[in-house]
Amino acid sequence: MTRRVIAIAVIVITAALLQSTVFAQLRLLGVRPELLFLVTIVIALLEGPSEGAVVGFVCGLTQDMLLNQPKGITALTLTLLGYAVGMARQYIVSPSPLVPTVVVAIATAVGMAFYEVVAFLLGQFEATLTYAVRVALLAALYNAVLTPILYPLLRRIVEGSRPRRVVRF
Amino acid sequence: MSSRSGSRSARLLVVGLVAASLAIITLDYRQGDAGPLAGMGRAAQTFMAPMQQAVTTVTRPVGDFFSGLAHLPSMARENQDLKEQVATLQTQVSGDVQRQAELQRLYDLLGLQTSLDPSAVPAVVIANGLSNFDYSITIDKGSNDGVKVGQPVVTGSAESPRLVGQVVSVTPISSDVQLLIDRNFNVAGGLATSGETGLVTGQGDQDLSMSDIPPGTKFPEGLPEYVFTITYDVGGQHGRYPPNILIGEVSSVHEGSNSLDTDVSIRPAVDFSALEFVLVLQSPTGETSP
Repeated sequence: MTRRVIAIAVIVITAALLQSTVFAQLRLLGVRPELLFLVTIVIALLEGPSEGAVVGFVCGLTQDMLLNQPKGITALTLTLLGYAVGMARQYIVSPSPLVPTVVVAIATAVGMAFYEVVAFLLGQFEATLTYAVRVALLAALYNAVLTPILYPLLRRIVEGSRPRRVVRF
Repeated sequence: MSSRSGSRSARLLVVGLVAASLAIITLDYRQGDAGPLAGMGRAAQTFMAPMQQAVTTVTRPVGDFFSGLAHLPSMARENQDLKEQVATLQTQVSGDVQRQAELQRLYDLLGLQTSLDPSAVPAVVIANGLSNFDYSITIDKGSNDGVKVGQPVVTGSAESPRLVGQVVSVTPISSDVQLLIDRNFNVAGGLATSGETGLVTGQGDQDLSMSDIPPGTKFPEGLPEYVFTITYDVGGQHGRYPPNILIGEVSSVHEGSNSLDTDVSIRPAVDFSALEFVLVLQSPTGETSP
């Protein structure tokens, strides 16, 4: 369990670190990827709704704490996103290796849109609608491009640190 | 049976976490910068700053190279030839050349420091915001070096200081700087030729907008028109920024339909994606006004 917590913490901190440094330079048409969204979605996809929600909350809280904006909106978004992706997992029957990429793309776009709507309703969203749509779509695209690279890595870490369960019949 | 109770506990968990998120949103709204959440935020930023610094130091040369490549489409639109030159140059950059350039920039800053304000703090940019909706940078100097919230941040050489933004959050070892292009950023600006003044506001990824310019203001034909910070004193309230810091260049002029005032767009003088060294000015007299 401790190993699990440390593994997740390292993933989350690394993602926040990369997003604020390296990927701030490597932008796709002015938009950076949303790595904490990607981490939440991938872990929810691997581990299911409970862990998806918890990791989403932690990822969101991390991002909120590092932003100079009202805190809590990202935590709310990613909690729900992790849960939703974890629940949607049981309806995915395709064995295609493209599944993670497609799920990440769709879930990122939906999550970004949700974040933008909540921020707008709370009076914290100053950007125009065009910019909001553009950022949601480009971030989704960027995340999808990164998924084939990061998904195997995350899966290895997550599965390697999975606590051994007692199997009952 | 077990899967049903599992999904119920997942639902309970999600309800709990959503409630916690809503509580955080509410608390943060009510307490603003003074509450425990803001304190936690500062602690998190303090924790991240050394790591951001390390990562940036290691990856900056690589990042510079790739950001050159990543920007190619938009660059091509603006200036194909120049961009090709940049890409070529970036591939040629060796460690020595880079060190030389950094040295030169530090000299420039030092020169700027003596001319602008003897108590200015030079700083290195260690991170570049976290969200797509947050236009800020993190610098490696904090309250230990005398940086305070609200202080103006500039870059450039002694001859042409250029406005970067203002400090919005400070930890002992790092600070966050809200960039000029942030939509919540305002600064009083003056046109170089006509001397007319107006309010300059950030517009995110678009050019800055300057409003409240009197109608009929003359703009020089065919020549670039620059906008500088101005100083003012209204009822004892001073501007936050020292005068004559370059904000940017007028890119287009929109006459209002009722011609009560004129709006202009301003292209910032600073390329925020390539920013490495900045200077925090310690002089401000004003407290809250832009």
